[in-house]
Amino acid sequence: MAREARASMSITEEFAAKIRKDNQKDKIIRFAPIIVLAVMSLVFSAINGRNFASVSNFTTILNQLAIPLLVALGLTFVIMIGSIDLSINGTVGMSAAFLGVLVMNSRNGMDLGLAGVLLAVLASVAVGMLIGLIHVHLKIPSFMVSFAFMFICRGLGLLSYQGRPPRILDPVLTEIPRMSFLGMPAITWVALSVLLLCIFIQEYTAFGRYIYAVGTDETILHSVGVSVKRVKVMVFTLAGFCFGIAGVLGGIRLGQGDVTVVGTGLMFPAQAAVVVGGTALSGGKGGVINTVVGVFIMTVLFNGLVIMRVNPYIRTGVEGLIILAAVTLTVARGAKVISK
Amino acid sequence: MMKKVFALVVVSALCLAMFAACDTATAPAPAGPAAVAGDVDLTDFVIDPSLIPQAKLDTTLYLAVSIRGVDNPYLATIYEGMMMFSEYLDGIGQKHETQLLDSGGSNDREVNNMRQFAARAGGNAIAYSDPNENAIAEALAEAMAESGGFIGTAWNKPADVGPMDYTPNWVIHTSPDNVKSGYEISVALFEFMGDSGKVFVVEGMLGNTAASDRYKGFEMALAEYPGIEVVGHDTGNWATAEALNLVETWLNMHPDVGGIWCANDNMATGALQALDRAGLRGTVGVVGIDANTDIVEAVRDGYAVATVSSNGWLQGGYTLAICYAAWTGLIDVASLSPDYREFATPALLITIDNAADYLANPPVFDFSRPFDAKDR
Repeated sequence: MAREARASMSITEEFAAKIRKDNQKDKIIRFAPIIVLAVMSLVFSAINGRNFASVSNFTTILNQLAIPLLVALGLTFVIMIGSIDLSINGTVGMSAAFLGVLVMNSRNGMDLGLAGVLLAVLASVAVGMLIGLIHVHLKIPSFMVSFAFMFICRGLGLLSYQGRPPRILDPVLTEIPRMSFLGMPAITWVALSVLLLCIFIQEYTAFGRYIYAVGTDETILHSVGVSVKRVKVMVFTLAGFCFGIAGVLGGIRLGQGDVTVVGTGLMFPAQAAVVVGGTALSGGKGGVINTVVGVFIMTVLFNGLVIMRVNPYIRTGVEGLIILAAVTLTVARGAKVISK
Repeated sequence: MMKKVFALVVVSALCLAMFAACDTATAPAPAGPAAVAGDVDLTDFVIDPSLIPQAKLDTTLYLAVSIRGVDNPYLATIYEGMMMFSEYLDGIGQKHETQLLDSGGSNDREVNNMRQFAARAGGNAIAYSDPNENAIAEALAEAMAESGGFIGTAWNKPADVGPMDYTPNWVIHTSPDNVKSGYEISVALFEFMGDSGKVFVVEGMLGNTAASDRYKGFEMALAEYPGIEVVGHDTGNWATAEALNLVETWLNMHPDVGGIWCANDNMATGALQALDRAGLRGTVGVVGIDANTDIVEAVRDGYAVATVSSNGWLQGGYTLAICYAAWTGLIDVASLSPDYREFATPALLITIDNAADYLANPPVFDFSRPFDAKDR
């Protein structure tokens, strides 16, 4: 009897100790991305001095951050449910192309103005929803569906302007890249609003909680009667919305509605930003704030290395090494964590 | 009108020259069309429809351009070059059909397309091909050689294989001279800057032949202008967004920059956007290569200094014209000297002087003089 009691005690104690240890580890992991960002900024400031640590350079970083942030935000929710979205380059490029041909441009007589902007975003929202629906109802892995949609969207974009990309001539839209408010570029303000929306969704809505639940264990939601399918479709739709905004802003920033010009090289940096920020690819962990830090890390890294005038032949390699180092420091590892 | 008169004069001059050559030659004149021999200067070679046997004119000739697609303005001009040459063939009464072989950027598809096209035409085929990668140039030529058609390639091929290995079917290989283009835009930029000042350099994808050749041209020009200082140098990987980020970042450190050299026009677009945001558009010189419409317009309006047209119309049209001359027997491919089998095609430097012209009308080509495509 006594022996049994002691044994059960020790199991409880052991469990408590383990939880304490895990919590501690979680705390470190939660702050690791911030620490990486701070150290990186300090090092760049020390090397580059005023060239790096200046208001104008900070504005530049904020400006360059906007579009990667939007893309990464959309992707964050998808990754949090344990899925992946590979359609990014296509959807972003498509909304830029649609924007290009719908507002005043150099290719056709269209001049829809704000309606054109909305339609371009809406197209991407529709694609996101479609990816979600096909993924959950036809039970095709998300990476496969979204990969196919990357090509479909790219094709639709190319088709919209028949091989000759439009230049955006709308006087309001061409003015936007030059505009700023309180020292922050207008494009970044838009990204910030979407960020706030995402934080709100994640923290203050039931849907936000469901996202974590789906990523952790779908069966929990099943057992309480929440439709996992619906949550998933909504996540992909939300991602489509973020990609659409990114495409529109990309088109505005580059002044062109070109599928390949706007929608190139966005996907992998976005995946890296999400992961560097500490969101687990297995789902259920991380979140929007992590992604913000991750995107800052990626942008500051590019900016700092360019200012340092690192030889272009080694810059790309160095970038990769630092990303690897950052991931090593920020990603949770251990026997319990499934690495896939 | 003047052009026609001139062409007529040249044709008659050439005919006279050929008569003179026949007089001195011991061999009797060949029964078929008179093939131009290797020692003849091809500078003034002219396709003379009257020398083409009626049987050839009545045979359906299949024309093709094999390219990645028509999804960018440059590739579209290649296709248009074929259509221009097609009009020329209509004019001389040659029966023919045209086809676009779209590879979509896939090596396999490009080779398969060519094989099917060549097999179907059974020897009565001529094609312009822009091999997707160096490695497949030979496979494309081989596909054409098997069926007896004629092919001309452009841009990409390995250094150790060439038209001479597949005589007569692989007629020519051409490429615009990237070093020269890189040099010419640099000189235009430095002149714009008054021979001194700071420049940013946005290179193309590192390790890419076109990128390194264009940069070589920049370095050559830089050596001649000691007053120019490079203060920012990195690769934009041919991409607008990357170039925009680079220039934006550099501008914080060097708002007094005088010029931005970009290895292509997509990146020049990014540079212009960055300048626009900084309120420097028009005061800082920008150069690129490719003659994208927006950059040519910027050159016309004084926001950019120069760009270069690789002249897709000329590449597509004249390559087919030379292959046509080979198919009709007007030239004997085997007797062409190596410098008429592999040569550089002239690129066109576009500055404020000719930008408006370039936008208003595509250049006019005389396809009866196919070797005008050889840069001199």
